[in-house]
Amino acid sequence: MVKISKIAALLLLCFAWCSTDTMAQVIAEPGKGLKKQRPSRMLQADTLLLKEANEASNVITLGDDNNESYTFSEGQLGEDDDFAGTTAMVSSNDDYFLSEVGYLFSPMRFRIRAYESMYNNVYANGVLINDAERGQFSYGMIGGLNDATRNKEGATYIEHNTFGFSAIGGASNINMRASQYAAGNKMSVVGCNRNYLARLMYTGSTGLMENGWAFTASASYRWANEGVIEGTFYNSLGYFLAAEKKINDKHSIAIATWGSPTERAQQGAATEEAYWLAGSHYYNPNWGYQDGEKRNARVVNSFEPALLVTWDYQISDKAKLTTSMFGKYSMYSTTALGWNGNAADPRPNYYQNLPSAAYDIWDLEYTPTEDELADYMTRYNYWKASKANRQINWDYMYYANQQANAVGGECLYYVERRHNDQMTLNLGTTLNVDYNRYNKGTLGISLGTTKGMHYKTMSDLLGADKYTDIDKFSVGDFGPSSDYVQNDVDHPNRQIGEGDTFGYDYDLYVNKAGLFYQHQYSRGIFHLFWGANVEGTTMERYGHMRNGRAMEFSKGSSGTAKFLGGGTKLGITLAFNANNALSIGAGFDNRAPIAYNSFIAPRMRNDFVQGLENENIFSAEASYKLIAGPLSAKVSGYYTVLKDLVEQNAFYNDQQSQFTYLTMTGVNKVHYGVEAAVVLNVTSALSFNAVASVGNAEYTDNATGFLISENEKVVMNDKVYMDGVKVDGTPLTALSLGVDYNTNGWYLSANVNYYDNIYIDASKYARLASVVGEPVIDATTGKEILDIPSQFSGRGDIMVDASIGKSINLRGGKRLNINLSLNNILNNQKMITGGYEQNRDDSYSDGSERTYKFSKNPFLYYANAFNAYLNIGLRF
Amino acid sequence: MKAIKYLSILALSLFTATSCMNEFDEPVFDQPPFGNNEIGEANTTIAELKAKYASTISASGVKEVTEDIIIEGVVVANDETGNVYKQFIINDETGAIIIGVNDVGLYAMVPIGQRVRIDCKGLHVGGYGKMAQVGGLYEGKVGRMGKSVFPKHVRLVGTPNIEQEGMQPEVIDDSYFTNENKENLAKFVRIENVEITEADGTELWAPEDLAYNNVVERHIKMGKTNLVLRMSTYADFANEALPDGKLNINGVLTRYNDYWQFVISSTKDIEQIAE
Repeated sequence: MVKISKIAALLLLCFAWCSTDTMAQVIAEPGKGLKKQRPSRMLQADTLLLKEANEASNVITLGDDNNESYTFSEGQLGEDDDFAGTTAMVSSNDDYFLSEVGYLFSPMRFRIRAYESMYNNVYANGVLINDAERGQFSYGMIGGLNDATRNKEGATYIEHNTFGFSAIGGASNINMRASQYAAGNKMSVVGCNRNYLARLMYTGSTGLMENGWAFTASASYRWANEGVIEGTFYNSLGYFLAAEKKINDKHSIAIATWGSPTERAQQGAATEEAYWLAGSHYYNPNWGYQDGEKRNARVVNSFEPALLVTWDYQISDKAKLTTSMFGKYSMYSTTALGWNGNAADPRPNYYQNLPSAAYDIWDLEYTPTEDELADYMTRYNYWKASKANRQINWDYMYYANQQANAVGGECLYYVERRHNDQMTLNLGTTLNVDYNRYNKGTLGISLGTTKGMHYKTMSDLLGADKYTDIDKFSVGDFGPSSDYVQNDVDHPNRQIGEGDTFGYDYDLYVNKAGLFYQHQYSRGIFHLFWGANVEGTTMERYGHMRNGRAMEFSKGSSGTAKFLGGGTKLGITLAFNANNALSIGAGFDNRAPIAYNSFIAPRMRNDFVQGLENENIFSAEASYKLIAGPLSAKVSGYYTVLKDLVEQNAFYNDQQSQFTYLTMTGVNKVHYGVEAAVVLNVTSALSFNAVASVGNAEYTDNATGFLISENEKVVMNDKVYMDGVKVDGTPLTALSLGVDYNTNGWYLSANVNYYDNIYIDASKYARLASVVGEPVIDATTGKEILDIPSQFSGRGDIMVDASIGKSINLRGGKRLNINLSLNNILNNQKMITGGYEQNRDDSYSDGSERTYKFSKNPFLYYANAFNAYLNIGLRF
Repeated sequence: MKAIKYLSILALSLFTATSCMNEFDEPVFDQPPFGNNEIGEANTTIAELKAKYASTISASGVKEVTEDIIIEGVVVANDETGNVYKQFIINDETGAIIIGVNDVGLYAMVPIGQRVRIDCKGLHVGGYGKMAQVGGLYEGKVGRMGKSVFPKHVRLVGTPNIEQEGMQPEVIDDSYFTNENKENLAKFVRIENVEITEADGTELWAPEDLAYNNVVERHIKMGKTNLVLRMSTYADFANEALPDGKLNINGVLTRYNDYWQFVISSTKDIEQIAE
C-alpha cells in the first residue's frame, strides 16, 4: 500500500505544474483487504454482431459538411463523424439491455443514452486507445477485424472493472493477447447488400503452446465495387498479427500489430426536395459520371497501423500488474471537390439548381408569375430528364480546366484531400490487488502523447495546369495582390501541383497523464464500488503556415494550455438474493475540453477559445434486476448533467461571403431516461424479449457564441438560443419486441422495433441572437415572442428485423455456421437517422428575402432500405 | 503452422485484389462535352441580328426568335473576375452583343477568346435600356436564358485563343460618341490616354460603403462624353485602388438608354501609361 501511495504522490507532483484554473478531484486513498479477483468476463456473440452491424450500417458522414465548396469544409466537428462509428461500444457483460441494444438499434445509429461517443472509453489490454484530440474511439482502426477484436470486457460508469476508468458511457477493454484466442482456424464469407457486398475473413490461432508461445493471425477483405448506395465503393483490407510468450508463471509478454487500409466512397445527405426529384431517399449527390464511369468526389482513405505491447506480471496470487504500450500512426483523409476563383458550385444539389430556388414555394398565398413557373418547370424537368443531370458533371469540370489551360488561366475545379493524421503513444498500467475476501482495488496510471497533423493536399487538379494558393473569399475584400489573400505569406502565390500541401497546415499536440483508483467491497448482499481519478492535459497548436488573415497568430506555437481535472464516483448494489438486485450510483467528472474544439479558427489561427475551461459532468443512475421464474428483467433510470462544454461549427457565411467559425462555450445539457429489458423464457427453446430506451437529451441553457470569419470582418460574441434544442443523430425513443427460437442447431429470431424522437443537428447560426432578431410583442397575449426556429425531427416509425441461423457439426470436429440477417423487412424508407439544418441565411445581407429557404431545407439521412447479410463460417 | 500457410495464401490473394478503386485519367474530348455540337455554320452576323430587331431593341422590347438565326463570335468579356454577372459578350467583325444566361461561373465554358455559335431560335432578343441582348424572357422584357437552356443554344468552336480574329478592339476617340453609333452597341473598343475621374491613388474601385445595389459608378471623360463604368462590389478587384494617371483600356461600350457605359471585365485590360 505504501507503494501505491508513493506512486499517487509522484503523479500528483507531476500535476503540480498544471495551472489550477481548473479544479482537481480527489486521489483516492487505496482500500484494504483482499478477495479473489474475478476473471474478466467475456462478451458473447452479441458483441460481435454489434460491431459488425456498426461497420456495416452505413458509414455516412453525419455532419454539416455540405460545404465542400469552400477551402475549408463546413462542420469541422461533423466532418469526420464516421471516423468514429456511432453506437457506443457498450459493454456491461451480464446486462441484457446493454448487450442487445447496440446491435438491435444499430440501423438507426442509436447511441445509448444519446451520449457522444467520446464518453465511452475503449481500452486494449488496459491502455486507452481513444483518440486524444476528439476523445472518441476510431472504429476504422479495427475495421474488418471482427474476430481479432471479439474478446472484450466492459463496465458501466458505476461498475468495477480491472482495466481502466470508465466514463459516463462506460468502458470496454479489448483483449488482444495471442493466447486468448481459441486454437484453430476460422474462415468466413459474408455476402450482403450494405456498404460492402462481400467479406472474406480468416483467423487462426495456435492457442498457448507447450513452449509458452501463442500466435494469432487474422486477415480480412471487404469489398464492393458499388455498395447499396449508388456511387459508393468499398475496398478494405484488415490484418492482425499477435504473439505472446509466457515466460514463466509470473511474466508474459504479448505483442500485437494490426491495421486496416481502407478506401471507401461516401454517401452524402440531401434535402427532401432533392430526394423527391431523384425519386429516392438514397439519392447520393457525391458521385457523377466521368467518361461513362461513376466517380465519387468524397473518398475516405484510412490506414491506422497500430502496435500494442503488453507485459503481464502476476506479482502474487493476489496482485497482478498489467502494463501496455500502444502506438499508432494513423493516416486518415477525405477528398472533396473544390472550386476556385469565381467558378460555379459544381455540386448537383447546390440550392441554386433546385426548382424551389425559382420562387417561394413555401408561401402558399403566393402565386408565381408565368416566368417563375416556367423557370421552376425548367429546373424540374432538368432534374427529371436524366440521372446524369442529378449528379456531378466531371467532364464539365475537366473541360473547364482545359479551357483555362488554353488561355493560361487558373484552375477552376479540383479535388482536395483533407488529412487528419495522428501519431500517438500511450502507456497504461494497472495494478489489481485483492486485499481480502471482501475488498479489491485497481490502481491505474496512464500517460499519452498525441500529435495530430491537419492539412490538405491537392488530390487531383482535374487536368488544370495552374493553381495558386490564395483564399478566394478574401480576394474580393482585399484585392488579389494583397498579402491578406495569401494562405501562406511566407510563400506567396505558391503554385500547387498534385500532392502539394496548401490551404492550411497545422499540428495539434495533446499530452495526457492520469491516475485512477477504484475499489470494490462486497459482503453479503452489500456491494460497494467507488473510484476516483485525476488527469492532466496539455494542448498546443503549431502552425506551419503564416496565414495572411492572421499573420501574427498563425505560424509557430500557440503556447500550451493546461488543464487539470478529475472525477469521483460511487456505486452501491444490494443483491438481496440471486433474483433481486438494486443498484444505485452517481459520479462527478471534471474533464479537459476536447482539443479539437479548443481553437477559435484552428485552420488559420493559434488563438485558443476564450474562457476555455473543463467540462463538468454529473451522472446518477439506478437499476433494478429481477428474475422471477421464466422472467428476467432489468429496469434502469439515469440522469446526467453536462456543463461548460465547448462546441464548434464552421460554415460558409452568406452574409459575409466568408468562411466562419462559431464556437459555443458554456454549453449545458441534460440526458435522462429509462431503460428496460425483459426476457421471458417460455420454454428452453422459445423466448420473448422486450427492450426499451425512452429518454430525453437536450441543451438546458442558451450558450455564448463566438464568431470569427476568415477575413476578420466578423469577430463578435453573440448569444446562441440553444435552450431546449435536442441532442441529434439518435432516436431518443427506441422500443423493441422480439422472439427467439432455438432447435436442433437452428436459431431464429425476429424483432419489431419502434423509433421516435429523432432530431437532426440544429443550426447554431439560425439560433444566434443577431439572426433571430428582436422579440415581437404578441398582439393577443402582449407577451414578447422570439422567432427561434424549431428543430427538425423525424417521424416515429416501425422497422422489422429477423435472422435465421444454423450450426452444423462436420466430421473431424469442424463446424459450419450459417446465418442470414434480414434488416428492415418491411422496407421502410422513411426513417430519418439524422442530418443537419443549414447554417445559411434566408435573407441577403441587405435584409431582403431570398427566394430559396434554407431554413425549410435541412439535409437528411435515411436508414437503409431492406437489406440482408449472409454469413457462412467454418471452424477447422 | 498451418495457419501461416493459410494466412500467406490469403494475404497474397488479397494484396493482388486490392488495387486503388478511384483512379481516373484525364478525359480527352473529341468535341466539347458542353453545348450543342449540332449547331451548324453561322448564317447571320451580329450586326444583321441587331438590325433585324432594331425597333424592338430601341423600344426596350423583346421578341422571341422564330427563324433559324445562328450568330458566331469570340468572347471578349465574361464573369471571370466577378465584375460582369450572369452574362458574357461576344464579338464578330460587325460588332458585339450581350448574351444573358442565368448562371454563375460562365467563364468555365466561355473563357475570353472562346469562339462560340449561338443558335438564337427559341431564344429572345430585345433591348434592356435600349441595349441589345440575347437571352430569355423576364417579366415581359429581355432577360437571361435559363441555366439548362443555355447548353442547347451554344456551340463551342475550337479552343480558346486570345490572339484570334475578333479579339482586336477598335481604337476609338471621343468622335465615336454619336447618336448613330449608339444604335449599334455593344462594341469592343480600346480607349487610349484616358483617366478615371475618381482615381487618386487610394480610392478603390468599388468599396461597399459607396455602393448602391452593389454597384459603384466610376467615370471616364472623353471629350463631352462622360462614360459610366459600373463596377461591382463583387469584383475580385473591387477593393483595389483605381489606377491613376493615363490609361489605355480595352472594354466593351454599352448603353443604358441614353447613357454611354463602358464594361471592364478584368484589370488585365488596363494598361498604365508610364509618364
